[in-house]
Amino acid sequence: MVASVAHAQPKGKMSGTEYFEKHVRPILVKHCYECHSEAEEAQKGGLLLDRESAWLEGGDSGKAVVPGSLEASLLITAVVYEDPDFEMPPKYKLEDSEIELLKKWVGMGAPGPAEDMGDTEFSQLGNQEVIFEKAAGHWAFQPVDAPAPPEVENKAWNAHPVDRFIFAKLAENGLTPSPQADARTLTRRVSYALTGLPPRDEDTFEKSPEALIDDLLASPQYGEHVGRVWLDVARYADTASTYRPDTKTPHYYPYAFTFRDYVIDAFNSDKRFDQFVKEQLAADLIVSENRAPELAALGFLGVSPHRNKSHDFVDDAIDATTRGFMGMTVSCSRCHDHKFEPIPTADYYSLYGVFNSVNRPEPWDINEFPVIDGYDPDEKLVADYKAQNQAIQKKIKDAGASKKGNNRSVAEAIKQTELAQLLVSHDGAPARAMSVSEREKPENAFIFVRGEPANRGDRVPRRFLKILDAAQPEFTRANSGRLELAEKIIDPENPLTARVYVNRIWGMLMGDYIVDTPSDFGLQGEAPSHPELLDYLAAEFVENGWSTKYLVKLIVTSKTFRQSSRTVEASVEVDPQNQLYWRANRKRLRIEELRDSLLALSGQLDPRMHGRSGQLWGDEYSKRRSIYGFVNRFNQDTTLRNFDFPSPMQTESKRTENIVAPQALFLMNSPFVIEQSEALVASLEFDEKLDGPSRISAIYEEVFHREPVANEVKQVERFVEIEEGRNVQPWSLVAQSLFMSNEFLYVD
Amino acid sequence: MSTDPYCRMNSEFTVSRREALQKVGFGFGALAASDLLAAMKGGESISESPLATRDSHFPGKAKRVIHLFMNGGPSQIDTFDPKPSLAKLDGQELPDSIKETLQRTQRDRAGTVWASPFKFSKHGQSGLEISELYPQVAKHADKLCVIRSMQSEIANHSPGLLMMNCGHPTLARPSIGSWVLYGLGTESEDLPGYVVLMPNGMPTAQSRNWTSSFLPGVYQGTHIETNVKKGEMIPHLKRSDIRTGTQRNLVRLTQALNQRHQHFREGDERLNSRIHSMELAFRMQTAATDAFDITKEPEGIRESYGDTPTGRNLLMARRLVERGVRYVQCYHGAGQPWDNHGALLPRIKTLTKESDQPIAALLTDLEMRGMLEDTLVIWGGEMGRTSTIQKGPKDVEKYGRDHHVDGFTVWMAGGGVKGGMTYGSTDDFGLGIASDPVHVHDLHATILHLLGFDHKKLTYRFSGRDFRLTDVHGKVVEALLA
Repeated sequence: MVASVAHAQPKGKMSGTEYFEKHVRPILVKHCYECHSEAEEAQKGGLLLDRESAWLEGGDSGKAVVPGSLEASLLITAVVYEDPDFEMPPKYKLEDSEIELLKKWVGMGAPGPAEDMGDTEFSQLGNQEVIFEKAAGHWAFQPVDAPAPPEVENKAWNAHPVDRFIFAKLAENGLTPSPQADARTLTRRVSYALTGLPPRDEDTFEKSPEALIDDLLASPQYGEHVGRVWLDVARYADTASTYRPDTKTPHYYPYAFTFRDYVIDAFNSDKRFDQFVKEQLAADLIVSENRAPELAALGFLGVSPHRNKSHDFVDDAIDATTRGFMGMTVSCSRCHDHKFEPIPTADYYSLYGVFNSVNRPEPWDINEFPVIDGYDPDEKLVADYKAQNQAIQKKIKDAGASKKGNNRSVAEAIKQTELAQLLVSHDGAPARAMSVSEREKPENAFIFVRGEPANRGDRVPRRFLKILDAAQPEFTRANSGRLELAEKIIDPENPLTARVYVNRIWGMLMGDYIVDTPSDFGLQGEAPSHPELLDYLAAEFVENGWSTKYLVKLIVTSKTFRQSSRTVEASVEVDPQNQLYWRANRKRLRIEELRDSLLALSGQLDPRMHGRSGQLWGDEYSKRRSIYGFVNRFNQDTTLRNFDFPSPMQTESKRTENIVAPQALFLMNSPFVIEQSEALVASLEFDEKLDGPSRISAIYEEVFHREPVANEVKQVERFVEIEEGRNVQPWSLVAQSLFMSNEFLYVD
Repeated sequence: MSTDPYCRMNSEFTVSRREALQKVGFGFGALAASDLLAAMKGGESISESPLATRDSHFPGKAKRVIHLFMNGGPSQIDTFDPKPSLAKLDGQELPDSIKETLQRTQRDRAGTVWASPFKFSKHGQSGLEISELYPQVAKHADKLCVIRSMQSEIANHSPGLLMMNCGHPTLARPSIGSWVLYGLGTESEDLPGYVVLMPNGMPTAQSRNWTSSFLPGVYQGTHIETNVKKGEMIPHLKRSDIRTGTQRNLVRLTQALNQRHQHFREGDERLNSRIHSMELAFRMQTAATDAFDITKEPEGIRESYGDTPTGRNLLMARRLVERGVRYVQCYHGAGQPWDNHGALLPRIKTLTKESDQPIAALLTDLEMRGMLEDTLVIWGGEMGRTSTIQKGPKDVEKYGRDHHVDGFTVWMAGGGVKGGMTYGSTDDFGLGIASDPVHVHDLHATILHLLGFDHKKLTYRFSGRDFRLTDVHGKVVEALLA
């Protein structure tokens, strides 16, 4: 960090220094240091009063002390309490005698302490000039360099580029990779990695791994799995975070689902990632067809946690865009220059101008959202929807302009509840894009000083971030500039976008990230464990048409991916966290994978894709995959939360993994799990005469894809015997005990 | 900043795979030896859990919190902030200079001054003044530390609740209960560490009031509706189709599978943690049923709290903290019951009647058990109310008061605060702060201090920044400390 620079030379005005220490310092200590000194770790308004260099330089408002000039010294202006907007200390006025002492001190040239503290790490917090200098050498801001994979001695590990990078680093640290896992383990691993589902009976890694990988990549379940990873980043939900207090119903987003479907389809059709980014930020500016399904991409902005077009909506859009695509924490600069990153507050307001120039209709103003192609509900459904809709429309019309209580329009209430509930659940309703559009006149934004809209600073043009685009040319005046922003993000010269994305995909497949802070590649983020590999993957990815499937296949065909997950004591000593990938990571099933697996194994999984969201559990739960589950922001599902499903209040960088008792309660007692256990046993259609061991084998084969060992057979038989003695039907409990086990919940 | 030991602990709290393993190597280093001993005594290695008890920055006088949330914004001038000066002004229009200080909506709606019709009198040795609406609570006057100069930001419910609970009126920030649980862990091995009790439904702003936001989900409050049928308060707590004995066998069968599985997978602490968490879940079925079952209390105790929604809630709160739960928040009711824009007289009588006896019983009960000294009880809403009528009604029975954030009342008791005192004051109109303002941030800083934390150092790294409950604000109000 920045070294402390001591100004040690004597000032030659010892009497002045004495005066300062005797008369002035005590006043500052008593009244000012709480907010303006390093000792208190406070630097309000960017001002420190514990050193001469700092008061001369001043804070956000200007120079605090101009030696000899009472008029120009803001310190004096503040303490005399004559300008009601500029009074210090904020809560009371100093004694007259104290003010006189300060005036006298400034008048005599404001002598400082004998030794100035100079620039310290603390005083330079948020000093953008210093941060930009540091950032110039930061790895993530350097151009992506496509390094050649190193040659390694081990022949088997010299065949695949990923393995060469991994092996070289292991060798450097005196480590050796683990042996390959067995075929059964690999079949299960690759199936979950690519589809989030247990392997189908016919799947086997043994015969032809490549064919299995291709098959899984081509299956529609692939997009339903990888798509969910992106929905974490896109903070997807089916409602806003607020609700109507009178009806206690959420503010529904009746068309959020088309964004979710768009994401699934984008991964299944292997849409170029650069195009994927562009469409999510600016589809309306690039597609010309009225009903183009790509318009649904705008849901990235449309499914914001904030219903209204407000400061918070804009802030969230900036946050999701910059952290989600580029690993930059721009929204921290809302109130002041970033304390740690090269992001001046002006950059925040440049992007503010972009997203504030977006028009965001209220979710129930249906006609503002374009109908899109790709959904063809059958006629009966459509007719039923039309009838229901008509009835509601009539009610709205009848309500006219009538109002109830607290000035709420009855018509609006019907729109937000009955109509919204119909739209959010009825598959016969036309599918619309959860889109945004252009405001008539795009506008540059004013900087809000300290983040307060009432406190306006300079106006800043709409343009890209300074650290990535030093010249910062202005975006077009013709529109919001979203398209130009998107183009800056996907510019192959942008050092962040591809790196950030390949790191996310690597993390999804490998269970750990090369950069452990996937949404923060800034100075405060973690350094990459394998910088060359990261760059290689990023370069390959861009080179190969930003193809996610290419990237996924590149990673899962490596030997690195196929290692055993067993722990090796000697390696643990060198690298306990397995940062160097000397073995595979054991992964816990995500809640979606857990739920989908239970449905798949019980034979109840409904493979229908797309469409409106359904309930995950409860009396009438949907049996479709969990990605089609309704995500209610305003009242988040307890089970999802207990299993670390992200709160969709902001973009999620990576899921946490907690182990808490309510997870076990869910597996032990929830009707959902009990029902799947029963259905699994029913689907096996045991013949009455079938003996215990055969039944046990059948259940083990179904859930674990292996034979039980002798001891397990004995334990289960004992359990069955005891429970049958108690008149309990034991077999579905046996199945449930497998569902509750670690062997089921973790993928080796 | 990075030299702060608390920051370093952050990484152990977010249990990513990498970090879970790290704990095997380094996690214990961050835990006090006493915690390890405590854990070992219980025969459980809960030290690996993000909920394991941890030492605060310095020994705090409060070990746990019961927050009585009068949601909706109780009128301070009818309860704890007597304003005799209003008698002279009663029925008069506000001078413009005073009106100007109100927030816009309140300014537009402000009617004439309305002095409290309720009688205040002095109570206890301290002579603390409390209105006739709280006769039972008044008997505890010498325990109360009444802050009359509370200050919040936006005079509306959602922002007010979020400010009071999470330290920011709009942005998604972790709630104070989550911060406390993150800081101290929980002493209960078979109950959630942060519980939110609600007779029915949800308060305004819903689960955002107890969100862990970017803190790990394990620190989120567990919301429990207490007016539902027994056994349904905690999801999936029970199953009725099999007996406990069968379930015990089912868990045993699973654990046998788990043990064999783990045997071949040494060194993965998660597998072990999960085995323990299933044991905890099994115990919780009984423990939680027991904790929430107030019929197990002696009749005298139940009578003292009263067989009402609030009475039952507060009694449950005591049973929970007694069992080691760290933070319990009790809302008065769904929505915002204390939001008396109209018909304040009949409504506030009902509301105080509903809460008076239970609160008094809680204070007595905690004291009797020797728990009051280290249990911090907090009473208050998300804001207060104006001393003026909200424009409209002609009939006094329909008079109401509007929202108000500059000078409202919160009181605390027990847990290291001075009793029988008031702090700060409001002006003659009861519409501004005359002395010693206490911002919500200051209240938060003080609560954390009472629990043993320097609010500036209880931080969590997220999105490239160290966040804290008080953001860049907050000052401990020393005068309140015993």
